[in-house]
Amino acid sequence: MNEIVQKKVFNYLLKNKVQNFIGVPDSTMKHFIDQGFKKNKILITTKEEEAIGIAVGMSMSRSNSLVFMQNAGFANSLSTITSLIQLYKIPMIFLIGWRGFLKNDAPEHTKIGKIQPKLLQTLSLQSKILNEKNWKASCDWALKLIKKGKPCALILIRDFID
Amino acid sequence: MIRKEAISIVAKKIGSQPIISANGFISRDLFEVCDKNSNFYMIGSMGLASSIGLGVALKNTKKKIFVFDGDGNILMNLGSLITIGITEPKNLVHVIFDNSSHESTGGQPTATNKIQLSKIAKSVNYKVFQVKTKNQLVKIFQKIKLIPGPIMVIAKIEKSGVISKRINIEPTKIKNRFMGSLKK
Repeated sequence: MNEIVQKKVFNYLLKNKVQNFIGVPDSTMKHFIDQGFKKNKILITTKEEEAIGIAVGMSMSRSNSLVFMQNAGFANSLSTITSLIQLYKIPMIFLIGWRGFLKNDAPEHTKIGKIQPKLLQTLSLQSKILNEKNWKASCDWALKLIKKGKPCALILIRDFID
Repeated sequence: MIRKEAISIVAKKIGSQPIISANGFISRDLFEVCDKNSNFYMIGSMGLASSIGLGVALKNTKKKIFVFDGDGNILMNLGSLITIGITEPKNLVHVIFDNSSHESTGGQPTATNKIQLSKIAKSVNYKVFQVKTKNQLVKIFQKIKLIPGPIMVIAKIEKSGVISKRINIEPTKIKNRFMGSLKK
């Protein structure tokens, strides 16, 4: 997703009362995170589970949170999602970078990239793939779900090779 | 001093201020000796009590937030100390009930009798206090009242074999009553 739209996504979520952006950086969403730094809203943690834990504390304090990560970090987070987020029904938006989407992405991403859609499905974590056209509707969908007290995921495709 | 005694002393001392307690016997002890709406029993997600506590502390700066952690739990999420260190929540008190073992899973050893957790915590901006007796524990909670956090209290405890009952409150109810207590 291009720089301008990534920044728009950040601004839109912030404007719609997502107050905390916590996570581990991913180059796929570099511009989203850069925009968050510009607005002084980013907290970088040492691991993804830690970010989810902090976001849970904030969500229980009635402050909406988004947790960002690469899909490698999503794989790290499975147990936290089942035994914390889903067990206690904590609303939060996950923003997950989809490495391994392109067939010629680096080899360490191939397997997780392949099983990611099925993992989300198996977890029953509702998700939408963001793109330049649907980003606003997808953000609205996510905002609506967290308002209802549900967690959900927005997926950002890694559409370039560096 | 055994864990249940230490938890009872601290929980009663801090009244209705929020507590986020680690999974396993720590939450079970707290539930048995001093159940309150302001207790968040983290029954899964081992390691994350201090992260949840940090999130609550950053959003409730007028309240003092307590984390009841175990040595096994914090060793699983040492990164949490780094993030607490850089965000420096003045209202966070992180209590480690340290028996140098994973007592909830059968008493396997942890590394806290070989490394100094206090030094790690100090190096990431915590103010650290260590206690070994009930008397010291009571006194330290008097003392830290006026000291800005992040504070770590390491309470050295003995393995006891005492097992408290399981928490029989639905997780969503644990959350809802905890959220209600934060509003007050």
